[in-house]
Amino acid sequence: MPVFKTPFNGYSVRFSPFYESRLAVATAQNFGILGNGRVHVIDLSPSSPVINELIAFDTADGVYDVAWSESHDSVLVAAVADGSMKVYDTALPPQANPVRSLKEHAREVHGLDYNPTRRDSFLSASWDDSVKLWTLDRPASLRTFREHAYCVYSVAWNPKHADVFASASGDCTVRIWDVREPGSTMIIPGHEHEILSCDWNKYDECLIATASVDKSIKIWDVRNYRVPVSALNGHGYAVRKIKFSPHRRNLLVSCSYDMTVCLWDFMVEDALVGRYDHHTEFAVGVDLSVLVDGLMASTGWDELVYVWQQGMDPRTA
Amino acid sequence: MTMTQSPSPPNSNDDKPQAVSEVAQEANQAQQDVGAEAAKQSVPASVFVNSEPIREDQVSNAVKFLSHPKVRGSPVIYRRSFLERKGLTKEEIDEAFRRVPDPTSSSKPASLNQDGQAKSSSNVQTQAPIQTPQPVAVAPTGIASLEGRQFHWYHAVSAVGLLAASGCGTALLIKKVIIPKLKLWVRKVVLEEENDYAKKIDAKPSLAEEAAAAAKAAAAAASDVAKASQEMLNSKNEERRRFEEFMSLMDAQVQEMKSMSNSIRKLGGQASSSGRVFSDHDDHRVSASSTKQSYANGKVDVNVQLGRSSTPPASAEPPHPKSYMEIMEMIQRGEKPSNIREVNDMPPNPNQPLSNPLIAPRTKPWDAQNGSDHQVLQSQTSAEGLNQNGQDDGLNYLLDDESSTPWWQRKNVRITEIENEDEVKDTGPYGVRTNEQPPPPIQRTWVPPRPPPVAMPEAAEAIRRPKSTPKETATQEQSADGQSAAHPSEVTDELQRITKMSESVGALEMNGGFSTGNSAVIQEQENSYGEN
Repeated sequence: MPVFKTPFNGYSVRFSPFYESRLAVATAQNFGILGNGRVHVIDLSPSSPVINELIAFDTADGVYDVAWSESHDSVLVAAVADGSMKVYDTALPPQANPVRSLKEHAREVHGLDYNPTRRDSFLSASWDDSVKLWTLDRPASLRTFREHAYCVYSVAWNPKHADVFASASGDCTVRIWDVREPGSTMIIPGHEHEILSCDWNKYDECLIATASVDKSIKIWDVRNYRVPVSALNGHGYAVRKIKFSPHRRNLLVSCSYDMTVCLWDFMVEDALVGRYDHHTEFAVGVDLSVLVDGLMASTGWDELVYVWQQGMDPRTA
Repeated sequence: MTMTQSPSPPNSNDDKPQAVSEVAQEANQAQQDVGAEAAKQSVPASVFVNSEPIREDQVSNAVKFLSHPKVRGSPVIYRRSFLERKGLTKEEIDEAFRRVPDPTSSSKPASLNQDGQAKSSSNVQTQAPIQTPQPVAVAPTGIASLEGRQFHWYHAVSAVGLLAASGCGTALLIKKVIIPKLKLWVRKVVLEEENDYAKKIDAKPSLAEEAAAAAKAAAAAASDVAKASQEMLNSKNEERRRFEEFMSLMDAQVQEMKSMSNSIRKLGGQASSSGRVFSDHDDHRVSASSTKQSYANGKVDVNVQLGRSSTPPASAEPPHPKSYMEIMEMIQRGEKPSNIREVNDMPPNPNQPLSNPLIAPRTKPWDAQNGSDHQVLQSQTSAEGLNQNGQDDGLNYLLDDESSTPWWQRKNVRITEIENEDEVKDTGPYGVRTNEQPPPPIQRTWVPPRPPPVAMPEAAEAIRRPKSTPKETATQEQSADGQSAAHPSEVTDELQRITKMSESVGALEMNGGFSTGNSAVIQEQENSYGEN
């Protein structure tokens, strides 16, 4: 399985929804504390297990997250730690990039998600406690959702309902929003500690998973949100990111500060079905390919990006 | 109980079954294009709205919380956040805020005035009679400790009564205690005078003795006094020492804070924001260094930081890389890491039009497989179709002479022999199989508690008996082969069998086995359902 070495510490990795072999990686210098950032667009070579870099973009501040556009195959958005977001178009020559700089957040932008159903809008989650809604054709945000009492770490669109999304925050709650409503429609006090990531089940639009500093992942049904459907324990430290599988209803992947990437089947009694400990520092980014069943990627503070097929060891050559 | 209406359309009152059917409707609708969804704005996704009524007990708890004086001093956002963490809904929190009396309202000052009046009247009355303040002071403080919400005349009456009682008590005291004491004292004096007369005669030789004794007593007293004063001095010194230590500690802390604020100001003076300290979920709480406020202003709001860091870290702190700690220390000292470059990442042309997309957006796997509970085969083909499309569309990247699949698509390499990584545990009818492996043996899985609008009981029966059980299907097929042809699908007969089936389902499950007759019926139900 190939490995890609980034000069800076990895923060996020995302598969392209158009090209099976393409990924974007968000990195930040000096662990994201202070320094520059870089967005890499990498490509998997089909014949040999080698990863090539197609293009890289430098930013003044660290990049915490990256999201591919669902409408334009060559466009991606980067969340930068200085509160701005940069839009890149890989089909244009490098000197024409970035094509947009969207600066409205007062603090670091930590999470991005592009709408997979409506394909025209995306959300940004920031440490200034707010979530903003954007489209590519407008320089200013369409909506600002400000209700959380602390940093918003992650935001996720519902895969079936194009107007519904969820946000996970350091105020220990997850909020469900509808863009047509002025405020949040549901508040799930999911954990006793900060919630770092949330994601919707792709096959059951009422199930949402939350990952927290308390090392657990909980699955919630919004129809009965007082009690979790399931609690997944097994990580040794805070769980940084989770993602439901686009191909299997019950499968979800998570990465944690315990340097492992874990696969879970939340419908089974013994939920942990796979564990990969290939990283040597915090594993902070993980993604599952929408186009290829079983293909997954992860990145971490050890400046490495791994891409491998489920069931295989990411470190095998 | 009236519910506060959010400004959404009235579907927030829906009961759960309605919500589910609506969700089912919307799930079907979601496959259509955006226009249809836009038209559905009058029927929002009500399952994502909290439809619980307001819980009175939660609201009253919240009111108590909000009435606490300490809570009143905190910002509103933290009060709301606390209540949200306790599980209150928005409506309940709003209701609680509405119920807690505002300090600027007129009712509170009026009650305060009344309380003050009662206090002053009782005080005037107490000061009139006698100088024993103790019992009298107790009475008005006792009265004052009552909340000022009581009727003030009741106050006055009880105050008067208590005062009268205390007055009588003191009068009795005087009579019984003080007057006898006075008498005693008078007698003493008289006796002493008499004694003095007698003593004066033979007092002279004993004068010296008495003087000596007096001197000794005085010396002893003086030494006692000296000791006591020395002790006091010592304790004072100790106190002073401790105080000075404390002061020096405080000074040290103040110095630290000053240096930190200086460093932050220095860093804040630059264009890019200065070191962001991960005092958040990383559990790395750098002592007293602030995070939440913007660095551009160079302000340091230490109070906010201290307030936020009061929540203890959930886990033991994960071991950070060594270089991470080094960089943090550098930032705290005010140094900038040397590897940072000046980068201009602004767009050269902010109006640059985006390039035209080369590929049409692809349907997502979950959209393609919508409603495929019983159509496993279809989903397989659609998934494979997607993969093939991927290969076709990616031609400009793949070599044309690429005959084998790319390494990332070699799914057959996913070996079931790797025991700890066999995640293919398909769970009943809701799982979707996209691999070529044989179905795994039946696992004991937890069936999700889907709210069941069961329209057809034989459908429910079919779902509960997944086709993947090889043994059952084999026996059923064998026994029903002859019979299914013989039974024409008459509606009435089917209905009778359906009702019989639904009644006997429970019995069947408990028995755990099938008689051939019943299995034939089951198979036919499945067949009929499959036809439908």
